[in-house]
Amino acid sequence: MICIIALVVFGILGIFSAKYRTVAKEAFDCVFKRITLRKCTTGLDKRMKSQITGKFMRKHPGLGKVLYKHFEAISWIFTIVLILSLGYSAYSIGNLFIYGNCNGPIPDAFCVFDPFVSGGHVESCSMEGITGEITGVLEVHDHDPAIGFPDAKVTIIEAGCFLCPYTKEAEPVVKQLISHYGDQIHFVYKDFPLSSTHPGAQEAAEASHCAHEQGKYWEYHDLLFVDQNGADFDHLLNLAQQLDLDIEQFSECLESRKYKSKVDGDFTEAFSIGVYGTPTFFINDQIIVGPKTFNEFRQIIDSELFWSV
Amino acid sequence: MGLNVEKIREDFPVMKREIHGKPIIYFDNACMTMRPVQVIEKINEYYNEYPACGERSSHKLGKRVDEGVDQARESLKKFIGARHTKEVIFTKNTTEGINLVANTIDLNKGDVVLGTDREHNSNLLPWQKLASLAGTKHEIVDPNPDDTFSIENFEKKMSRDVKLVSIIHTSNVDGTTIPIKEVIKIAHDHKALVLVDAAQSIPHHDVNVRKLDADFLAFSGHKMLGPSGTGVLYGKEHLLKKMPPFMVGGGTVEDTTHTNATFDEPPDKFEAGLQNYAGIIGLGEAARYLMRIGKDNIQKHEIALNRRVTDGVGDLVDIIGPNEPEKRSGIFSFNYKKVDSHEISMMLDEMENICTRAGAHCVHSWFNAHNINGSCRASFYFYNTPEECDKFVDTLKKVIDVVK
Repeated sequence: MICIIALVVFGILGIFSAKYRTVAKEAFDCVFKRITLRKCTTGLDKRMKSQITGKFMRKHPGLGKVLYKHFEAISWIFTIVLILSLGYSAYSIGNLFIYGNCNGPIPDAFCVFDPFVSGGHVESCSMEGITGEITGVLEVHDHDPAIGFPDAKVTIIEAGCFLCPYTKEAEPVVKQLISHYGDQIHFVYKDFPLSSTHPGAQEAAEASHCAHEQGKYWEYHDLLFVDQNGADFDHLLNLAQQLDLDIEQFSECLESRKYKSKVDGDFTEAFSIGVYGTPTFFINDQIIVGPKTFNEFRQIIDSELFWSV
Repeated sequence: MGLNVEKIREDFPVMKREIHGKPIIYFDNACMTMRPVQVIEKINEYYNEYPACGERSSHKLGKRVDEGVDQARESLKKFIGARHTKEVIFTKNTTEGINLVANTIDLNKGDVVLGTDREHNSNLLPWQKLASLAGTKHEIVDPNPDDTFSIENFEKKMSRDVKLVSIIHTSNVDGTTIPIKEVIKIAHDHKALVLVDAAQSIPHHDVNVRKLDADFLAFSGHKMLGPSGTGVLYGKEHLLKKMPPFMVGGGTVEDTTHTNATFDEPPDKFEAGLQNYAGIIGLGEAARYLMRIGKDNIQKHEIALNRRVTDGVGDLVDIIGPNEPEKRSGIFSFNYKKVDSHEISMMLDEMENICTRAGAHCVHSWFNAHNINGSCRASFYFYNTPEECDKFVDTLKKVIDVVK
């Protein structure tokens, strides 16, 4: 059994250094003979046993003795663990290729094959006492603020809150994605104002749509993230003034709460499928909660672009 | 003990090395010995000061090479007690020396080459090959019931057909030494020549080819402090003169035409191509070093070490060969029950850096005949110490405790 472990270990080491290749070949020969129901004649198993036992004997004679007596059984255990590990690794690599992360549709753990992404460390603004599983995907409507090519292979929908610091944290990456992919993606922003934890979020969302009707949604969107300390009427009006919007029209829009139903509709739709915090991103049917790195988004988007017909 | 081992060890740089914080205990001297700084410096001297061609270049560097080689040949002549330097042929090892004889000696179909039951592959395969190519026969002298060499059986085997006795002097399996002088006398009485495989004897015993009246004698440099890839074949001058060259080429001829060649006298006609000058010069220094130490001192020291080990652990293992260490030279070859010898050897190495050899020691024929898978062999030399032997005994006991 030790030959199987040796084959894997020295096979990998042999890629990098010629000195391990002879042992890897011996291990392969041994494994091949065992598979074909012949006796391993290389002596590699005995050499490994002696060397490993000898190393333990140097400092822990008792442990060395146990190891020598039960070497075959211990080898079996390690071989089974190795096979399970290899199987799980293959599954993770498959996930990495298909979903862009090791952990399948919902990335909720660290991925050793891509250690530079933030993995499952989920940080988001959440609704108090509500966590759960997102069971669906948001739909894009005609009046939703959007950038990019509407028929692009990849649609990214962000459910965000203008007063949520994590939504703000995700903004630079969002801009980088839009710049990097251009018309390859269709980016859509939907409101999920967390008013219970961020008072004024609802009003900020409504104000953004008031700016939208004057053709300056994305500029107003960006200004809202600059100062997240509240969103009272004067503050929202002040932002509109900075963009040279028609203040009278903007004030009337805001005071009449013209877009309350639109914002409420976005919230209700998102809440109904289980969205619980911001920012939440839907990349086609894949979901990311919380701000992530560009690389993490890139893996999923590239994968979607590759697989989309 | 007559040797100042501590002082001697200062000559061997490798003895100062440690691996995993522990010194190296080198007990694989039957395979290869370590080299003293004097030999290493001689080799370096060639490469640093006169790395040129010998024999053929008349410039100063070339002459210096010739001086070094001549000096080495002279030292080797004294080392084995030859009459003349013409009788000392440099080879790359014992194997090449024996092959040289096997390929050039005048043997015909039906002629018998006689050996023991424990010949090294290097003194077995050349004769098996000759038998298949030339129709000669290779026969074996049966040992005594106690597995020692039988001079009676040897004498019985001697017939008119035996033209050559090619025989191991000291066995690398069990360390036993045959009565070579008696063997040679009997062989000569039957008009047979004798080739002595002295690979394991010459580094440890006093071997004088004239006193023995040996016709040929082959040995390696690497088993007697010399560089790897060096060796010597001794041959009586009149025999060498009659033998054709083995390999031919540069350095073996006086003159050539497009159709013919006039070969040099021995030893040149047997030393084809550019030689291993650095190695030869280093081998000469090794011979001088051993002559300064004295073979008697070496032999006494090795037997004392062997006795210490035999007393320490001899009762726990199955010794290959006689129980008396005096009969086993510096070799302690053993097995423990049915445990693979490689396992024991590797554990000794891993635990205390004790270097031993495991396996059939290139004498598969003997092990196969005895249905043994090999042995673990500790072989001592004059630079080994009693303390190293004690460590070996102590560690081997621990290994036995694990594998029993």
